[in-house]
Amino acid sequence: MKQNICIIFILFLVASIGCNKTASDGLQDKAVDVTEATAADIQSKIEKSKHLWRSNPPASAPARSISIGDYASFDLDNGLKVIVVENHKLPRVSYQLSLINNPIQEKDQAGFVSIAGQLLKTGTTSKSKAEIDAAIDFIGANINTFGRGAFGSGLKKHQDQLLSLMTEILYQPSFEQAEFDKIKTQTLSGLSTTKTDPNAMAENVASVLTYGKDHPYGEVENEATVTNITLDQCKKYYDTYFKPNNAYLVVVGDITPEEAKTTVQKYFGAWKSQDVPTHNYKVPASPEGAKVSFVNKDAAVQSVIRITYPVDLTTGDDGIMAAMVMNNILGGGIFSGRLMQNLREDKAFTYGARSNLSPDRLVGNFNAFASVRNEVTDSSVNEFLFELNRLRDEPISAEDLSLVKNSMSGSFARSLESPQTIARFALNTFRYNLPKDYYNTYLERLESVTIEDVQAAAQKFIRPDNAYIVVAGSKDDVAEKLVRFDSDGVIDYYDAFGNKVEVSDNPIPEGITAETVIADYINAIGGKEMLMKVKTMQQMASMDLMGQQASIDMKQKDNKMFALKIAMSGMTVQEQVFDGTKLKMGGMQGTQVLTEGKEFDAMKYEAQIFPQMSYSSEGYKLDLKGIESIDGKSVYKVVVTNPSGDSETQYYDQQSSLLVRAIETQEAQGQTMSVTSDYSDYQEVSGIKVPYTVTVSGAMPMPMVMKASEVKINADIPAAAFSVE
Amino acid sequence: MNKLFSVVLCLFALGQLSAQMNKIEYQEFTLDNGLHVILHQDNSTPIVCVSVMYHVGSKNENPERTGFAHFFEHLLFEGSENIGRGEYDKYVENAGGTLNANTTNDRTYYFEILPSNQLELGLWLESERMLHAKVEQVGVETQREVVKEERRQRIDNQPYGSILQESMKRAFTKHPYRWPVIGSMEHLNAAEEKDYKQFYEDFYVPNNAIVSIAGDIDYDEATVLVSKYFASIPRGIGEVYRPSIVEPPLTSEIRDTIYDNIQLPAVVQTYRTPAAGTPDFYAVSMLSRLLSRGQSSRFYKTLVDEKQVALQAGSFPFDLEDPGVSLAYGIANMGVTPDVVETAMNEEINKVQTELIGEEEFQKLRNQVENDFVSGNARVAGIAESLANYKMYYGDTDLINTELDRYLAVTREDIQRVAKEYFHPDNRVVLHYLPKTENP
Repeated sequence: MKQNICIIFILFLVASIGCNKTASDGLQDKAVDVTEATAADIQSKIEKSKHLWRSNPPASAPARSISIGDYASFDLDNGLKVIVVENHKLPRVSYQLSLINNPIQEKDQAGFVSIAGQLLKTGTTSKSKAEIDAAIDFIGANINTFGRGAFGSGLKKHQDQLLSLMTEILYQPSFEQAEFDKIKTQTLSGLSTTKTDPNAMAENVASVLTYGKDHPYGEVENEATVTNITLDQCKKYYDTYFKPNNAYLVVVGDITPEEAKTTVQKYFGAWKSQDVPTHNYKVPASPEGAKVSFVNKDAAVQSVIRITYPVDLTTGDDGIMAAMVMNNILGGGIFSGRLMQNLREDKAFTYGARSNLSPDRLVGNFNAFASVRNEVTDSSVNEFLFELNRLRDEPISAEDLSLVKNSMSGSFARSLESPQTIARFALNTFRYNLPKDYYNTYLERLESVTIEDVQAAAQKFIRPDNAYIVVAGSKDDVAEKLVRFDSDGVIDYYDAFGNKVEVSDNPIPEGITAETVIADYINAIGGKEMLMKVKTMQQMASMDLMGQQASIDMKQKDNKMFALKIAMSGMTVQEQVFDGTKLKMGGMQGTQVLTEGKEFDAMKYEAQIFPQMSYSSEGYKLDLKGIESIDGKSVYKVVVTNPSGDSETQYYDQQSSLLVRAIETQEAQGQTMSVTSDYSDYQEVSGIKVPYTVTVSGAMPMPMVMKASEVKINADIPAAAFSVE
Repeated sequence: MNKLFSVVLCLFALGQLSAQMNKIEYQEFTLDNGLHVILHQDNSTPIVCVSVMYHVGSKNENPERTGFAHFFEHLLFEGSENIGRGEYDKYVENAGGTLNANTTNDRTYYFEILPSNQLELGLWLESERMLHAKVEQVGVETQREVVKEERRQRIDNQPYGSILQESMKRAFTKHPYRWPVIGSMEHLNAAEEKDYKQFYEDFYVPNNAIVSIAGDIDYDEATVLVSKYFASIPRGIGEVYRPSIVEPPLTSEIRDTIYDNIQLPAVVQTYRTPAAGTPDFYAVSMLSRLLSRGQSSRFYKTLVDEKQVALQAGSFPFDLEDPGVSLAYGIANMGVTPDVVETAMNEEINKVQTELIGEEEFQKLRNQVENDFVSGNARVAGIAESLANYKMYYGDTDLINTELDRYLAVTREDIQRVAKEYFHPDNRVVLHYLPKTENP
């Protein structure tokens, strides 16, 4: 009653305040001024009294009990284990097939399991990829195949079409070479984007470090491993592991267990079982000390930070509930997590900072991460470490514990909305041999976690002193300031795929300059006198180009004429002829003659037989950048800028003085690429050392290896060979 | 209590259903202060989604203060007269709930998903935000930096992250869709307290909002509680600003090149297309599906699978309240130039314009639409948002049950017609994304 009166009174006043505001726009400014103080006073008092009842949050209503949906399970005679979760909310049904075996090692063909999975859907003995795609899309369904299973979902009314397609894909894949090549090319293209994605870079490095090369989780696919993958390997993998006795099938949706039994028997009953090999792995060890590992991304505006290491934690472990509570306090799902509060809400270093503690059958991992701006990268690492240590050293408050317990029980309740959760619970119960009521007692187990349990978990699982601190970002802006976090004071550098990159800080020996490096090279290949006598050079080589042999014929004369011909099965696919004044470029797309432009200018340098001989002439700039390491050998890094302003980075072996690598930026088909040429197998021809093997990478999806068959020096080359006409 | 507001209960009768659709039932009413309320009861899991959608997005901003709507989304978690700084999240998480918000060009959406016995807490929190949010200077400073980090993470440091921003600023010259939702960092730096106050008073008012609640509730009880917390919030003063700026049509193709931190070039075509909800929007949407939904779609089949010129290709319309855009894009495979990708995209578009699509392919599109529509309402959080969207954009909440009919009304001829009418060169912006190293 009292409240009602109060509200009516307020409504009246609100209306008049509204009037005052409107009036103040017009003539009554003065009148308002006079009463301003009083009006403001009254207003503030009213505001307060009006909302007094609001000042505390409402109490919660009695909680409703949470019931976990039920599931049914049965085995087929061929060993397929089937779980059915019935849910009629939507007229849909899904079938998920998951392989049981431990992941396998892919070694120098890393990526083949995934490619084998993708291949399954690209053709059956009776359907082409286009026919399969059309059939799936026609019923508006989804079917996906993976390295470790398959998933199909659609409207219930299309269930039969869905399952006939899905099982045809599973039982009769055709493994076409053409589809395989396509997926391989797409995978390689995809990998190239990894080089600019700081999250992917950091994740790759973290995986390699955390699990090591002897563990399947530590294998990262890169251009080389993907190139190595063979169709045969994919086929073998499928033949070995896609067996009903090595799989769970989870059926979820608008279907009763009885109907599921009949349907599954009909579509999966005839699948033949076969023994499947098992693999076991050693549990990777934690790093000794804190190790800062850096991946450079030039010109990055943010750094991706990941602090990570392996942990021994599996679903069903005794201490897992306390460990999960502990991680949530630090930076799990909740916004109130310490990392989020510290790095975002207090310091504004980042849009988000979180942590994961992931259990796994083979080996789990801990991972704390954020993307932060360059200037605060070191400060952010510092705050991460501060929060990790604080969690280890100080008991959490009762308030924190209750907040996280509430949050976790709420999150558990929310997850039950999805029938896929019930399916996951069922699958885990089988996979981890959990007690049948494991998830039914989830909330009780959560409630029983104490402050002491959490601290014990922190001391067990939080190890900032034995962690990989992986940072992907701009090396020039960020790296140096991170040295202090590394136990031995040395930052390790990695490429985007987790391969170690040598950044040697060997001092350049006294007396060595770019000029002496070049002079030593000239001496090493034969000496200035000898080189000056070379008037012509002809090199014939062959290379493998996407499964076809290509032959290369390159001629140079008098340091100003150049002719190059690349042929495949007798057909010229590319031709360049430069007579000193005109450049003819030809190939399968037709021929053009140039007398100026970038390509024309570049040719003047290409025509030089030994370009290093000109480096001392005017217009060249040489810069000795330092000593680095290639394949374990120390090399001098020299940046050469020619008179046109184009530069190339060259690496000369410190021991042999020979050129071992050159990196230049090239333009091809409108795309700029960094092209690396590696020179090896130097052989003597007429007293001069010539590299017989040149490996060019970066220009094509796969590295091209050119092997010389014959090199002729000062052979007579007819003038016609350089004729542009 | 009943005297203080009038409840307009609209319990909708069962409409026409497609064969298998499980109908979403709901109740809705409008409070005296203009606040529209939508309730959906589903007692299968003991959770509830409490949400408020404000009809303010980046298009309502002052061109000198872009990014305000999104910045507000951050600020309005800072607290209120009765909620201290940083406590907003804690209340929700302590109750076992989760919360978030998002901002688009047209609206801002806040929601909490809570155990259903905490419904009243959700209402209290949201009503505090609407009645008397409070922002301290320290909060403004912090959130400004957080937004800058968000910008770096989502746009600047993300390969192709600037596509939308670069496309929209060329596709629009007058309409506020020309600036990005995240806005200008300079504008945010320049903002003063009076700007915040004004923005809050202009847009965060009950007559510019929809409360949408879905989950384990009782209709009557929820109606009483919503009224308790929201009925006394005063209506906003004056009309809510809605831009009436009509963007003139593009008269010729706009082309440009963007150099970005990427490895693979990309082609992005932005076509000016009708507003969401119009008959032609549904036709354009079907056209986009034809081009890019599934591996049998025309873009995927030709560009990715057969010609292998693209790693990825797609097309999608933006469901914007005012006339907007549809994007068509292709990311080139390694060693393929953007020109080659663009030619292949154009050939596919051209084919739709010149050849009527076949009956079977058309039936496929209809089947796909039905599947997507049926699958869309799997969770109460999604239902709460959809209900609010339909009401706010189209004034028709029941579209949650009937929008499928609008898609199914599209004919093969319509698809061909909109392809000709909207997907023509004079009506588009074409951007070529190239690696930075290629910048001359």
